[in-house]
Amino acid sequence: MENKEQAMPEIKKNKEAGSQEETSRALLNILEDVEKERKRVEEEKNKTLAVITHLADGLLVFDKENKLSLINHQAEKFLNIKAEEVMGRSILGLVNLPNFKVLANLLGPEIKGIFRKELTLDKDLIVEVSTEPMMPRGEKLGTLVILHDISREKMVERIKTEFVSLAAHQLRTPLSAIKWTLKMLLDGDLGGITEEQRDFIEKTYQCNERMISLINDLLDITRIEEGRYLYKPAPADFGEMASAVVNYCQEEIARKKIDLDFKKPKIKLPKVSVDAEKIKLVIQNLLENAIKYTPSGGKIAVSLEYDEDKKEIIFSAKDTGVGIPQDQQSRVFTKFFRGANVMRMETEGSGLGLFISKNIIEAHGGKIWFESKEGQGATFHIVLPVGG
Amino acid sequence: MFWQRLLSLEEISGIIIYMKKILIVEDEEILINLLQRKLIQGGYDVLVARNGEEGLKLMKETMPDIVLLDVLMPKMGGIEVMETMQKEDALKNIPVVIISNSGQPVEIDKAQKLGAKDWLIKTEFDPQEVVDKVKKQIG
Repeated sequence: MENKEQAMPEIKKNKEAGSQEETSRALLNILEDVEKERKRVEEEKNKTLAVITHLADGLLVFDKENKLSLINHQAEKFLNIKAEEVMGRSILGLVNLPNFKVLANLLGPEIKGIFRKELTLDKDLIVEVSTEPMMPRGEKLGTLVILHDISREKMVERIKTEFVSLAAHQLRTPLSAIKWTLKMLLDGDLGGITEEQRDFIEKTYQCNERMISLINDLLDITRIEEGRYLYKPAPADFGEMASAVVNYCQEEIARKKIDLDFKKPKIKLPKVSVDAEKIKLVIQNLLENAIKYTPSGGKIAVSLEYDEDKKEIIFSAKDTGVGIPQDQQSRVFTKFFRGANVMRMETEGSGLGLFISKNIIEAHGGKIWFESKEGQGATFHIVLPVGG
Repeated sequence: MFWQRLLSLEEISGIIIYMKKILIVEDEEILINLLQRKLIQGGYDVLVARNGEEGLKLMKETMPDIVLLDVLMPKMGGIEVMETMQKEDALKNIPVVIISNSGQPVEIDKAQKLGAKDWLIKTEFDPQEVVDKVKKQIG
C-alpha cells in the first residue's frame, strides 16, 4: 500500500512529464506546419509575383484608396518610370508626374471602368488600357489596370492602309487614261466608229467608271483610317443638298418606275456646319441603296425635319425594298458588308458605302441608324446637330 | 503633226488671228497625247513638258497663255513649279490649272494659295471638260 502510495506521485510525475512532452511536441509540430505553410504561401506569392513581373502586359494595382500598390516591370518600362517613384502614391498625385500623366488622365481620379481603350504613350508605343475592379468577396479591394502593347498591330494596320492608298493612287492614272481614250472615241475625236463599236465602248466606259468609283471608295476608307478625311466644315443648307441628290437620282428612279415622295419641312431649316460634299455623299449613298434594293414599282419616302428643341436635323429614307436580314443587322455599318439577300440579287457593290457614311455622320457629331425587316424594306435615319 | 491633216475652219482662223499657247506639264504619255489632240482640235497651240524642270524652262522660253500642270512628276512636282513661278515676276501671272490624280483638300488648298485658277481630278474629268476649263480662263 505504502509502496503503492509512494509510487503514485512518481507515476503522476511521469504522466505530467509525458503530457508536457506531448504538448510541446504537438506545439512544435504545429509550428513546423505553420512554418511549412508560411514557406508555401511565400513560395506561392513569389511565384505569382514572378508571373506578374514577367508578364508581357503592363500591370498596375491600385488599392481601395486608389493608391498604387503594385507595378510590374513591363508597366515600368511602358511608362518609363521606376517603381519606387510611384509606389504608394495616389492617382491624384500621379497626374503630376510627366510620364504618368496620360495614363492618369485616362483613368480619372476614381479609376473608372475602361475596356480596351487605345492610348499613345510614345511615338511608337501604343497600348490598349483596360481596368478591372478586384472584388473577391463582393467588397472592392482595389483596381487592376492592364496595359496591352498594340504597337505592332497598329504598325501593320498603318502599312496596310498605306499600301491600299498607294495601290489606289497608282490605279488612278491608267484608269484616267482609259476613261479619256474611251470618251474621245465616243465623242468622235479619234475618228468615226460604227454603232456596234459605240455600244461596246459605251459599256466599257461604264465598267471603267465603276472601277474608278470603287478606287475612290477605297481611298476614302484609307483617309478615314488615317484620320484625315473630314475637312473644313462650312455652313450649308441641308434641304438644298438633299434636293440636289434627289434630282441627281431622278433618272434612275424613273427608269425603275419607283414612286418617290420627298417630304420637305414646312419651315426653312437653319444652316448646318458641315463638310457639304461629304454629307451629300451620305445622302446619295442612302438614296442609291434604296433605289438599288427596291424592286420596280416600289416606293421610297424621303423626309426632312427639324427638331427645334434638340436643334437637330433629321433625315430619313424609307423604302419598300428587300430589307436587311435580322441576323446580319449588326454588321450593316462594317467595312465590306453586303447582305446575303442582296448578294443573290445583285453581285455588284463594294459594301463600303455605309461604313463611309457612318464615319462621316459620326465625325459631324451626328447619328445614323436604321430599322428593317427582311422582305419589307428598310428605313435609314440621320440626325445632325445644327452647329456641328 | 496637226498641219499634216486637214484643218477645220476654227483651227485655221485660230492660226490667222492668234493661236493661244498652252503648256501641258505632265509625265503620263497617253494623257499628253489625248490632251494635246483635243486642245489642237480646240484651236490651241500646244507645248509639252514631261516634268516640272522642263516645264519651267519651256515657260521662260515661250511664255504660254496658260499652264496645265500635273502635281506628281519626276524631277520637280507641280507644287514646287508653282512655288518657283511665284518667285519670278515674268511667270507669276501665267494662269495655272492643276490636272491631278489626287483630290486631297490639303493639296488643293496649297495650290489655290499659290494662285492656281482651277483644279481638275483626272478620273473625274474628261478631255472636253479640260478644254472647257481652258476656254473659261483664256478664251
